[in-house]
Amino acid sequence: MSAHASDKFVYHEPGLQHQFDDMGQQEESVGIGMWFFLAQEIMFFGGLFTAYLVYRSKFPMAFAAGSNHLDAFWGGFNTLVLIVSSLTMALTVFYAQKSNRSAQIVLIILTMIFGATFLGVKAIEYTDKYNHGLIPVAGWNKRAPADPAAAHGEAKPCWEVAHGEEHKYVNPRGEFIWTDCSLVKQAQDHNYLTESERNGYFSSGQIDGNKFRDKVRIFYYLYFVMTGLHALHMVVGLFLMAWLLWTAWKGYYTAEYYMPVEMSGLYWHFVDIVWIFLFPLLYLLGRHFMH
Amino acid sequence: MQSEAVLTHPGEKKLNYLTNGTTLKSWLLTKDHKRIAIMYLISVSVFFMIGGMFAATIRLELLTPASDLLETGSYNKVFTEHGIMMIFFFLIPSIPAVIGNFILPIMIGAKDLALPRINLLSLYIYWIAGGLALYALMVGGVDTGWTFYTPYSTTFSNSYVMLVGLAIFINGFSSILTGLNFIVTIHTMRAPGMTWFRLPLFVWAHYAVSLVMVLGTPVVAITVLLLAVERFAHVGIFDPSIGGDPILFQHMFWFYSHPAVYIMVLPGMGVVSELISNFSRKKIFGYEFIAFSSIAIAVFGFLVWGHHLFVSGQSMYAGMVFSFLTMVVAVPSAIKMFNWTATLYKGSVSFDTPMLYALGFMGLFLIGGLTGLFLGAMGLAVHLSETYFVVAHFHYVMVGGQVIAYLGGIHYWWPKMTGKMYSEFWGKISAMLVFVGFNLTFFPQFILGYLGMPRRYAAYPPEFQVLNIFSTAGASVLGIGMLLPVIYLVHSLIWGKTAGDNPWMHPGLEWRTSSPPPTENFEKTPVVTWEAYEFGEESGLDLEEARRRDLVTVT
Amino acid sequence: MQTTSWVPIFPEQASSFAWQVDLLYFYLIAVSVAFTIPIVVAVVVFALKYRETEKYATPEEMHGSMVLETVWSIIPFVISMTIFLGGAIVYFQQYTPPDDAMEVYVVGKQWMWKMQHETGQREINELHVPLNRTIKLIMTTEDVIHDFGLPEFRTKMDVVPGRYTYMWFNATKPGKYHIFCQEYCGLNHSGMGGWVYVMEQRDFDNWLSGNVSGLTPVEEGRDLFTNKLGCASCHAGGPAQRGAKLENVFNTDVKLVGGGTVKADENYVRNSILNPASQIVDGYQPIMPTFKGQVTEEQVNALVAYIKSLSPNAAASTTSTTSPPPAANNTGTSANKADRGKATAPGSNPNTPANK
Repeated sequence: MSAHASDKFVYHEPGLQHQFDDMGQQEESVGIGMWFFLAQEIMFFGGLFTAYLVYRSKFPMAFAAGSNHLDAFWGGFNTLVLIVSSLTMALTVFYAQKSNRSAQIVLIILTMIFGATFLGVKAIEYTDKYNHGLIPVAGWNKRAPADPAAAHGEAKPCWEVAHGEEHKYVNPRGEFIWTDCSLVKQAQDHNYLTESERNGYFSSGQIDGNKFRDKVRIFYYLYFVMTGLHALHMVVGLFLMAWLLWTAWKGYYTAEYYMPVEMSGLYWHFVDIVWIFLFPLLYLLGRHFMH
Repeated sequence: MQSEAVLTHPGEKKLNYLTNGTTLKSWLLTKDHKRIAIMYLISVSVFFMIGGMFAATIRLELLTPASDLLETGSYNKVFTEHGIMMIFFFLIPSIPAVIGNFILPIMIGAKDLALPRINLLSLYIYWIAGGLALYALMVGGVDTGWTFYTPYSTTFSNSYVMLVGLAIFINGFSSILTGLNFIVTIHTMRAPGMTWFRLPLFVWAHYAVSLVMVLGTPVVAITVLLLAVERFAHVGIFDPSIGGDPILFQHMFWFYSHPAVYIMVLPGMGVVSELISNFSRKKIFGYEFIAFSSIAIAVFGFLVWGHHLFVSGQSMYAGMVFSFLTMVVAVPSAIKMFNWTATLYKGSVSFDTPMLYALGFMGLFLIGGLTGLFLGAMGLAVHLSETYFVVAHFHYVMVGGQVIAYLGGIHYWWPKMTGKMYSEFWGKISAMLVFVGFNLTFFPQFILGYLGMPRRYAAYPPEFQVLNIFSTAGASVLGIGMLLPVIYLVHSLIWGKTAGDNPWMHPGLEWRTSSPPPTENFEKTPVVTWEAYEFGEESGLDLEEARRRDLVTVT
Repeated sequence: MQTTSWVPIFPEQASSFAWQVDLLYFYLIAVSVAFTIPIVVAVVVFALKYRETEKYATPEEMHGSMVLETVWSIIPFVISMTIFLGGAIVYFQQYTPPDDAMEVYVVGKQWMWKMQHETGQREINELHVPLNRTIKLIMTTEDVIHDFGLPEFRTKMDVVPGRYTYMWFNATKPGKYHIFCQEYCGLNHSGMGGWVYVMEQRDFDNWLSGNVSGLTPVEEGRDLFTNKLGCASCHAGGPAQRGAKLENVFNTDVKLVGGGTVKADENYVRNSILNPASQIVDGYQPIMPTFKGQVTEEQVNALVAYIKSLSPNAAASTTSTTSPPPAANNTGTSANKADRGKATAPGSNPNTPANK
């Protein structure tokens, strides 16, 4: 806390805002502000995690089935990409503290490349969902009319569909499609369905493929909302990095003044940590069921 | 030290925050927390009047048992919008964004809030959200109730749910940024010597409120966002016909909306602490207890949301846990009540308009808080849920509590904010009209509620009519009491007596600078060497001089 | 049933746990008064006694009191715990139905309530229940959340789409009590009400079997004839009516299509309702639909009584209207058929000549 009376004629450090007495006060304020901002971001994502928690505990098989169809390779790749980007971000702060302008610039650019890579992979994944009728909104998937000339035998009941069996993609109205409820049969046979599942997947004692599909749809809904909101935060992060790049290029950040770099770093690490939670919860469910 | 009042010697005109820059741009792009507060003052007043017109419409419709003034569909929109305007666009911002923004930095001896541009952003966001809500109103409004219960709001309502939901979502960020700003400011911008336990209780209350604003508002933001997505895309987690759970919506909604009521009332309690203490010229009794009780209310307030779900089909045992915690959260408010009362003991009590409002708050919040216990006791809650008892309870705490505290605060700090004094006579008349009108309006509703009259009814059984007529009669008195301040306060801006720097002779730091204050708040940063609420000469108050001059216009 | 006072202040107690809820209410009022009066008195007394006498006075410094703070923290906490316990106990009663409850299914929908009794009786916006019986309601909704509110019974419960919710009560006072929808549900939320009718067991049994309590068989029959079953549309339509005239017909001889004659006694009337195709009155078309399965035995009795009443000069009947009815399609084995004489055997082809 500063103890001297402020006076119009005192020297002000560059970057000092008018309401502060000295840089120490400014940096403390900005720091507290950013930490509380991140706390409210946790509450923001927290609502989604709560919804996820509720539905996963009610319908674990549907979530396992949905999760298995996500590509854990790309998810894992993205996790690696973000962790490395956090490393480059932390190094940016380090070199700002060392007044090393060129290192900062290189590392910010690297961070941005990794961030863009992350978003690129997400685009690949979302496109894949589009192509396979996994976007939970009717009409938003790739349309593929049925081929009248193709021979169709008796459709298999959904619990006899083996995992990974190829189906011809028929989706005239672009709806959400899910035809594989083999996990339900498996769970029923080994008796580990939850009470909600015993009511939720069955009609008149039989497995109801449509009802199971609705629950898997909820998984994909949460998948898109959670990763979508996260991707939005990544985009904001990229804009933040662009601004940081420009100001670092102009040489603003030195050992005396690197607070904006540190605060941007905090934001970036936060976005990374959210992904670290999203990845296992969305991509890694129920893998042990599939063998 | 006291600066001269404005406009004393020609050629020696000192600029205050109002005269320092007179272009529209200097206002709209200002970083001055005081100007932002004034712009908030005008904005929330507009929303209050719109919400008030809806209230008048409701009471007029309820004069007769049949739905004859309005069609039921229109009535449903009117009560929904009354709730939304009042809660989101008036009550939640009111004291923090107007009085907090203006006075808090000065009270702690700072030049401004810690993050002035964030403050301005908060105002812009509020305007965008408010504009969107008004637009939604004009194109047809929304009829789901301010609580937006699903699946009615996701699937059945034919009104502008997404638009209003979006407005509320955006408005949430205004609230979050204000809270963030206060937390940082209180931590880092206190003047030298202003330790935590020398802070005025207004500041403690705002610290507690800011915690709730920052941590609670994001949850309603995500809930409303999910609601809008569900309505738009017909996929989601709240509508049972697509696999969702409507009770999950209620849990997520009330997780914020219960702490929201503490966002509304805690600043009011902070104002009342100031008023009771200052107008008894005595340090508040049990300072630490009041300070910590604010924090306790903020924390416990997050744990009781399930008391809004007692008859929703929630499990009995969950209900019991929430009822227990609801009883616990009542205790800190009781502690405040007792401490305020004890402050009057052996004080020197004056009955200026702000004090009348503070005493009114005490009586009305007492009833409001006690009736909260009725609703927290589960056996009674079952009978009283969704009846007019609930309506009466929350109006007692929100209007009888918060709005009255807001009015008291506006009157108290009016001379500081504007440099003018209002008519004390009309101030007292209004305060009494508000108190009497309020009780006449809402007390009969307790009786109606126990009889079983449901809320949100455009038409009701004829045996309830007489009590409804009493209520509407009271509402007209209340309405007049609320309108009068608009008139005499605006009048004072032009024709009011000039107020001195410290018309009340109170020790707070805000009274140690000119009225209105200069842009940088203090000519010289104060150094605090006295405890909170020191009314004697130790705090530097020149009481002899004041007695001699007695230029102040307090009656 | 409304109170007789001009302005109701307190609702009736019509259920077995209503007194508990009211007791809790009065306890809370007492607690509130016990807190309000001292605080208000203290505020008024202090404000007046210590009012400002000298401008800008500086009263003596007062330090807080740990004792006082502790006392006025502990006492409200303890009292609030008693309130919690009272509330929990009453709540447990309100939502734990005793065994051996009579179940009624309730379905809410915008904007009406549909009830169905275990015995199959259906009602709309009304619920008839017997006195002093445990009634358990199993409830759901077809669309949005509603709430089945019974203020005089001091209970309510939301109905939630996609699941069942439960409530129970035991009505202790006969009368007519409000049903309110108590969760906002859209346009006609305020119109979604109804009535619970609590009746003595005997009256309830009557009601269940079809008699509206209090009506004589003739009145009941008239109600069925004119309002509920639509008989009047063909049989009381004036000169162009399509159905046979029923006035002054009872106990006279009726000429049938195909030549036979039959005495229009109770059995004839009964047969005409349940198996009209078997005996068409001469000059009329065979278009009357059967009411078999749509009327109970008691309702048939009432209709017979009413039709009898349309013939005030008829000879006294030799059959008793309350005798146990024979098998529904009247195969003619009953001794009551003795005076049928030349009538065609019921169930036989109406076109065959009756006289051989």
